[in-house]
Amino acid sequence: MRNVAVLGVGMYRFGMGDVPNAVMAREAGLAALRDANLSFRDVQAAYVGHIFAPVMSAVRVMKEFGLTGLPVQHVENASATGSAAFREACLQVASGRYDVVMALGFDKMTTMIQQTTQGTAPENMEDAILPAAFFALWATRRMHERGMKPEHLAKIAAKNWNNAALNPMAQRQTQEQMTPERVLRSRMVAWPLTTMMSCPMGDGAACAIVGSVDLARKLRPERPVVRVVASALQTEKYAPGHLFMGPVVGPAQMTIDTAAQAYNEAGIGPEDLDLVQVHDAFAIEELEYYELLGLCKPGEAEKCIDLGDFELHGRLPVSTDGGLIARGHPGGPTGLAQIWETTLQLRGEAGKRQVNGARVGLCHMMGGGSVCVIHILQRD
Amino acid sequence: MIQKRRVPIKGGYFSIPEDPLEPPRLLGSRCQRCGEHYFPRRAICARADCLSDDLVDVALGPEGTLYSFTFVHMPLFGSSNLEHMDGYGVGQIDLPEGPRVQLPLAGHKEDYFIGQRVIAELDKMREDGDTEVVIVRFRPTGDKK
Repeated sequence: MRNVAVLGVGMYRFGMGDVPNAVMAREAGLAALRDANLSFRDVQAAYVGHIFAPVMSAVRVMKEFGLTGLPVQHVENASATGSAAFREACLQVASGRYDVVMALGFDKMTTMIQQTTQGTAPENMEDAILPAAFFALWATRRMHERGMKPEHLAKIAAKNWNNAALNPMAQRQTQEQMTPERVLRSRMVAWPLTTMMSCPMGDGAACAIVGSVDLARKLRPERPVVRVVASALQTEKYAPGHLFMGPVVGPAQMTIDTAAQAYNEAGIGPEDLDLVQVHDAFAIEELEYYELLGLCKPGEAEKCIDLGDFELHGRLPVSTDGGLIARGHPGGPTGLAQIWETTLQLRGEAGKRQVNGARVGLCHMMGGGSVCVIHILQRD
Repeated sequence: MIQKRRVPIKGGYFSIPEDPLEPPRLLGSRCQRCGEHYFPRRAICARADCLSDDLVDVALGPEGTLYSFTFVHMPLFGSSNLEHMDGYGVGQIDLPEGPRVQLPLAGHKEDYFIGQRVIAELDKMREDGDTEVVIVRFRPTGDKK
């Protein structure tokens, strides 16, 4: 990706509450503008992601910042919505059309749940099965093929809960150290996944402002420039065994292919990464993505988990902000929360969860099992 | 007792045989050009190297092999017969024609293992006046294998 830098990032803490989308989005956006040392007057276009809010919510929420006439475009790609909005903003800067573009994501997943639980019975084939089931099917197959144990999933979840405790923007804030034993004792959702291995419902907002590298230097001369060196988005390629109904997990090959495209664009390999964020809506996903993103060799995820490779101060920290499991996953803003975390880490501003000397970070999101988005950020 | 008329929760996904003892079949498509089978039905072959629109309706199954399974312990949206005290099952089943399908399983977790032979059956979800609303699910064939 040519000449694109993250100018500023901001978040409204993920969680459950009565705060309207407009307020959460405004606070996240203003935080990003302050971080970038910009005024809303400078923003030339906005790509706004939400999944559950009504039609035109993107344009209406943007009025909170002022009515400057800027182009506003709603972006939606299920869980990958925020990542897709960020990609559109980056592509606009890379094309040379705009110098300052805002990517904003917000959602109140709690309202979606109220709407869908009003029905008394499933009305079509796909409603009969909850999303957790699809990921559980991945887990039971992995146990069968690779001898994975529920303890491996519990270790991933405990790691992410403990990382979230160091992140003031995280939804789940555990007071005492989270242990794999506590994770295993939590309520079963779908064998072998428990509630503590699964992301919570939540609300929140996140924002990233992107612009040219020169502008980044000019606005914040004291700060290292964080470049967007790769943006890849792919949908599924057909292969035998493809599931057409309830496509929540998505084919493993899609992450492999999207990662290959991103690494190629960035001119690096997985061995060059210093930290990684993944779509860990359920702990089994994070385990699978270790291998699919090339963070370890195929079949070695369990061994690497036992060695602590992906812990905050391990060989390659993953889900440093708590991931979807513990930072939270409201929907629209989730992918932008990954950009927030990675940007702070690469600047050396991640506080207690700082990965020492972090220079390159990868962000991975899946949307509805049917789209994969990967960005790679690099500090100059 | 008179058998109530059985109607699918959603049309176009599975058959409802006249004979209640006959297993339902899944309604899919076969590409006449490359021979690939699909469930559910589709109009255009999904293979990037084919993309033919010459597809015909076919009935798939009713037997298959269990690729993976789980039992879910969260309440379904509202209540239905799919729920049990010990959760409701979901399986991925490889059909002999090729497609892998993802559908509810009957019974209990202990009834299943990966690689098992399973067969489709109809499950009553609710009664609606003089009809029964049914969904297709799988159960073990009972063959030891």
